[in-house]
Amino acid sequence: MRKQTLLVLLELVAMLLAACGPAATPEVVEVTKIVEKEKEVVVTPTPAPVKLVVLTHWGEESVLKPMQARFDEYMKLHPNVTIEYQTVTFDQLLIKITTARAAGISPDVYHFYNLWMPEFVKGGMLAVPPEEVVADIRANYGAGSIQAVTYAGQIWGYPTEVNTYQLIYNKKILEEAGYDKPPETWDELKEMACKISQVDASGTVTRAGFLVIPGWDSGVVHPFLSLLWSNGGEYLDAEGTKALFDSSEGLETLQLYMDMLEDKCTDPAISWGDFPNSKGGMVIMANWWRATLKDTFQDGYENVGVAPIPVGPSGKSTATLQYNWLFGVDNGSKYRDEAWKLVEWLNTPAKAGEASPIGDFLTSALGAIPSRLSDQKALADRYDAFLQAFVDSAAVARPEPVVPGGQEVKTTLQTKIESAWYGQKSPGQALADAAEESNRILEEKR
Amino acid sequence: MSDKLAVSEVTLPSVRSRRRLLHPRTLWAYLFVSPAIVALLLFTIGPILFTLWVSVHNWNLIEPISQMPFVGLENYRYLLTKDAIFQRALRNTFVFAVCGVGANTVLGLLGALLLNTRLRARVFWRTLFFLPIVTAPLALGMMWAVLLNKNYGLINNLLGLGGLPTQPFLSSPKQALACIIGVAVYQYVGYYIIIYLAGLQGIPQEYYDAAAVDGASSWQSFRHVTLPLLRPVLLFIAVTNTIGALQVFDIVFAATTGLAGETSGGGPANSTMVVALHMYNTAFKFFRMGRATAMAVILFVIIFVITLIQLRLLRERT
Repeated sequence: MRKQTLLVLLELVAMLLAACGPAATPEVVEVTKIVEKEKEVVVTPTPAPVKLVVLTHWGEESVLKPMQARFDEYMKLHPNVTIEYQTVTFDQLLIKITTARAAGISPDVYHFYNLWMPEFVKGGMLAVPPEEVVADIRANYGAGSIQAVTYAGQIWGYPTEVNTYQLIYNKKILEEAGYDKPPETWDELKEMACKISQVDASGTVTRAGFLVIPGWDSGVVHPFLSLLWSNGGEYLDAEGTKALFDSSEGLETLQLYMDMLEDKCTDPAISWGDFPNSKGGMVIMANWWRATLKDTFQDGYENVGVAPIPVGPSGKSTATLQYNWLFGVDNGSKYRDEAWKLVEWLNTPAKAGEASPIGDFLTSALGAIPSRLSDQKALADRYDAFLQAFVDSAAVARPEPVVPGGQEVKTTLQTKIESAWYGQKSPGQALADAAEESNRILEEKR
Repeated sequence: MSDKLAVSEVTLPSVRSRRRLLHPRTLWAYLFVSPAIVALLLFTIGPILFTLWVSVHNWNLIEPISQMPFVGLENYRYLLTKDAIFQRALRNTFVFAVCGVGANTVLGLLGALLLNTRLRARVFWRTLFFLPIVTAPLALGMMWAVLLNKNYGLINNLLGLGGLPTQPFLSSPKQALACIIGVAVYQYVGYYIIIYLAGLQGIPQEYYDAAAVDGASSWQSFRHVTLPLLRPVLLFIAVTNTIGALQVFDIVFAATTGLAGETSGGGPANSTMVVALHMYNTAFKFFRMGRATAMAVILFVIIFVITLIQLRLLRERT
């Protein structure tokens, strides 16, 4: 009796374990196609079916469909390949990639921000691209884009959209204040910002001459670094091991914000999203904002002007920050070769003089600038004055340093800059604290 | 003889219990409860132990678990001595819990007392108070972020119509946390009203009649009849509300991360940063799962201790 009971128990445990295990994968049956050729029967093997999962943050209706169309085209050309296209919002992308990896269900291909690369590489997530892909990238992309997708001496994927920062201004507001051109120096920036600001009877700023982007690390730090570099300052040392933004140039940069805050020429409570409502005159922002500006300004879009970052008192010339996105392949993908073929197809023009599928998508659907030089040339006629100004800014753009802990350093600098803006710390103390914290992060993550 | 007796005294019960354990009936009983035990181990005890284990390691969520380096109590030491944001988040979380629990307890009781009277359209009022609780906190947080917007929010428009100065609300480090507490109370007070109401309706009318016969005033009836008999309800509300408040995440996340989720939340300048949100950012944005799980453990210990104190204090009085 006891034996019988134990047997039943064992059987049940075995059933439970079997139920919890992975589902049985049906064996891939190689299908063969018989082609008759001049009475000769040639047997050509049909490629085994391949399913690729692609993840991006291009989920809005306006960009989802055009991207899906590119995948449909690829599937038509490669009938054995099925592409499952997944999208999440930008704020969920990193979480989706890392948790999917931890759960063992990584997408085969993902589109990601280059600042995440060090952690991905450290975790062995990314597949090394084939030699022909590396050669293609080296031959057809600008130095900034190549540097942006390189980490530890290795290129990790195809650079896609490139973003730089420029001073975006409302021409109408500036003209009404008597200015026929945008500011070129910080003194001019301050003067114009203060002249176009509006303050009500209670002392509340109702229109900010210069808009800041609080609460968002890139929104705070990228414009700050563009101004810092235009003032001759540095962010990190060449090895990416030490923060250098607490220099006198850095202090001047933060002081620029503080002066405008004190004189009520800016106010963190007025959002950068209020720029189209004419509640802001100028803002330092990236080119990916163009689609939103076009939608919100509509007929007034022609009033949106773009100018280089004004030069600071310690700077000699304008500079700006550049960051890239890239398509990479998961190292654990079952179909790594096929995944690279898809990524290569997306980023390669079908004919000389034409744009690549992704270049065409970025420009037409997203309003972004593609990284591939031949795409930039082939699509030049589609650039309006807004995009052309950003394309031109690539000449003075410096890639955001891709270092381990880069994301954390950026957030640290953001919170410290904001603590100065909100009067919790002096500018000097804020930058010194940010530098100390950043050095510790860089040391830990090295 | 005495030795033999001692042996038999010791062994007899264990033999008996072993027999009982291996009895087919007992085995069948274990078999039937085994799915629940397996589920408990897998989904409750397992993650707790895993959290404890990860908290003494450095793990970026991407590297294989087998490769994560052991760091001992370093994550705890850093959080408690160096992480200014964590300390700020702890302070904000306590402020949120104390104010939120206090407001819910008092306003919930007042609301329940009001709804327990012969009020007109009582069902309507009960439904109205309960409505926010059936709304997703994320949706509610986003809705309030719009309503409290400094420039185009409805609340500032109303203030303007009343000739009052506009307020920065969520844009001000001084006002943001108070706004979040207000939103949380707005969402949960209806739930506590219903709980209090159930408690109030469970108090027999005879007690009030007896108090009235003894000449007790309304206040005396409330003080000496209602309140003592509501203590079990109060205990339940205090414990569950405190646990929920210390774990707050969704409302803060929704109200402070922007409509497109572009910001890290907890702003401006970390004035609304709470432990759960800092934990989330640390784990998924900075790839520091070890430090994030250490925060979870610290929060667990805090909640555990506070709950024990609450149970002890309120049980004694009950």
